[in-house]
Amino acid sequence: MKMKRVSALLMCAVMTASLAACGGGEKGTADGAADGGGNGEKLSVMIWDNYQEPGLKEIIGDFTEETGIEAEVQVVQWNEYWTLLEAGAQGGEMPDVFWMHSNESQRYMSNEILLDLTDKAADSELVDMSKYPEEIKELYTYDGKVYGIPKDIDTIALWYNKTMFDEAGIAYPDETWTWDTLVENAKKLTKDDGSQYGIAIRNDTNQEAYYNMVYDMGGEIISEDRKTSGYDNPDTIKGMQYIEKLIQDGSMPSMETMSENGPDVLLKSGKIAMSFHGSWMVSTFKQEDYLKENCDCAVLPMGKESQRRVSIYNGLGWAAAANGDNTENAWKLIEYLGSEKAQQKQAELGVTMSAWEGTSDTWAACAPEFNLKVYLDMREDMVVRPYSRSTVTWENRASEIFKDVFIGNMSMEDACKQIAKEMNETLAEE
Amino acid sequence: MAKPKKKVTSQERNEFIWGWIFIIPTMLGLIILNIIPIFQTIYQSFFKTGDFGRGNIFVGLENYQKMFGDSQVWQALLNTVKYALMEVPVSIIISLVLAVLLNRKMKGRSVYRTIMFLPMVAAPAAVAMVWRWLFNSDFGLLNHVLGTKINWISSPDIAIYSIAVIGIWSIIGYNMVLFLSGLQEIPGDYYEAASIDGATGFKQFWHITCPLLSPTIFFVLITRIIGALQVFDLIFMVMDRANPALIKTQSLVYLFYEYSFRQKNQGYGSAIVVLLLILIMLVTVFQMVGQKKWVHYN
Repeated sequence: MKMKRVSALLMCAVMTASLAACGGGEKGTADGAADGGGNGEKLSVMIWDNYQEPGLKEIIGDFTEETGIEAEVQVVQWNEYWTLLEAGAQGGEMPDVFWMHSNESQRYMSNEILLDLTDKAADSELVDMSKYPEEIKELYTYDGKVYGIPKDIDTIALWYNKTMFDEAGIAYPDETWTWDTLVENAKKLTKDDGSQYGIAIRNDTNQEAYYNMVYDMGGEIISEDRKTSGYDNPDTIKGMQYIEKLIQDGSMPSMETMSENGPDVLLKSGKIAMSFHGSWMVSTFKQEDYLKENCDCAVLPMGKESQRRVSIYNGLGWAAAANGDNTENAWKLIEYLGSEKAQQKQAELGVTMSAWEGTSDTWAACAPEFNLKVYLDMREDMVVRPYSRSTVTWENRASEIFKDVFIGNMSMEDACKQIAKEMNETLAEE
Repeated sequence: MAKPKKKVTSQERNEFIWGWIFIIPTMLGLIILNIIPIFQTIYQSFFKTGDFGRGNIFVGLENYQKMFGDSQVWQALLNTVKYALMEVPVSIIISLVLAVLLNRKMKGRSVYRTIMFLPMVAAPAAVAMVWRWLFNSDFGLLNHVLGTKINWISSPDIAIYSIAVIGIWSIIGYNMVLFLSGLQEIPGDYYEAASIDGATGFKQFWHITCPLLSPTIFFVLITRIIGALQVFDLIFMVMDRANPALIKTQSLVYLFYEYSFRQKNQGYGSAIVVLLLILIMLVTVFQMVGQKKWVHYN
């Protein structure tokens, strides 16, 4: 009977389909992680940045030549990276070696998902823990145990379009600039017909833009002990109000525009005169002809009263899975990647600035078109990217609330207070 | 009907064993990948989940209480229903018309059929990326051709419609193929008889095609509603997190992903997906009952 056939078919469809939502996520990720698990032969390495892949492959190639251990690099985009790693951690099938980030490291370390490298690092001839920046090391240390070897460090600089500055008759940004100068000039560089804006900062451009402003004003995002939010600190609000001023002046493209085309896209399509970018963006920027011809970078502006020129900085760590089948070889690879030689090469190849003291200077020469030295200069006054155990939760929530400020539904002060309230609740639950 | 105590022949026993052997792989798949996770998800929705699935704390109905007071969830529910209400009827009407048109003898028929089916073959992520570019307010082809400056995917008022357009476009081919197979089961005699009686093309469509195709239409309707209520990948790929229209477009599954995988609050994410499960079950039961009024099984 046809009726029965259709009903039976439907029952199956309902069952499979209604669960695709629940099963789907886990299924997909578990499959992905399965081929990330080592089988005793080839090491699997997982990273999230396409642009670093060629350079890292070269360095890993050197490693294979020296030790005979082969390794395969897999690139997974940032968003899926953490979903995949999490599923891998839960299912016990993780890649052998992978990147760690301060947003997530606390959770991974406290649950002993990562391989304890303390003794290995102490005994190593290649790795010398005293050569890495203190705070980057701290990101990957928990309860006195080392779970990650610093890979790189990154700082922030101001990028600007020389052609637009020339046209407007404004001197290029330099170390005399304060945040007030920036706001003033952003307005001057904005054209009334909407063809050009002074600057682009998104509601979620935190590390690259507004975190720096906040610390320059003497504010903070999270307290030293990482127990309370700094968003209700009057100085923090003062820093954030520079963003509000830029919005009110109309110096930035609409939020709609920026959400579809990020500041980097707007910069390389000649829509904006300035934007902030971390040093990790250089590897993409140096492949853009428009940027090479028209743009350059400068140090960040400073706080007028504090005279501070803070760059938020961060660094990734190389970590390994605690329950991997290949921990000995995984450590060898991490050890190699953390060694002075590999760090030097990482900088030379222009992959990123390196964590090992004094190895980054060669990095600035990787794209002679740009004045990359400013990124090195920004290392003079650095604040580590604010983090806690639940960074992702409160950071996303802050971006969400800032949306209302960008649309004009809320004042920056109210938004900051609201964020502080919610962030404190999140922190209390940690 | 069956006689009691009938002796089982060896052939019957053989069929019984082989029957089971043939369905076991499918059943195992269904049980492991679908049925067990359903119950795990429901179970999990009563917990405040710890990191990496360790140290879950039982919290009873707390996740549900939070959910009922969460305006984001209700907005997502509304978005989901809105999307389904647009995608399903429009895609069914268009694909039905196309199927009827492509069911005739004509030149290049298979070429047209292939073209219509192509979107179905393309990876949803790739489809979404292309549309994202088409819709781009500054550099997009659509605004360029029309000479407008409409924020197709970032204006809270219209973004959901833009998403629905992508959804409709991607699903037409699939629906059309199902309709085509349904159409080919209708004997040509009916149309011949109708022509002799003087029924025109439209009348034939309405009085012959529609009733005889109703089981297929019903099947497509019910599966597509379920599919549309689970919309996720399009929104995930097209809408950036900074997008001001996100709140007005995010679906329940998107919200589930956000909580379960981004914010690692799997308990709450599970509660959201249980809400979706209930919604889908209600809609489906309602349709199964309602079909008696309009679906003709010969």
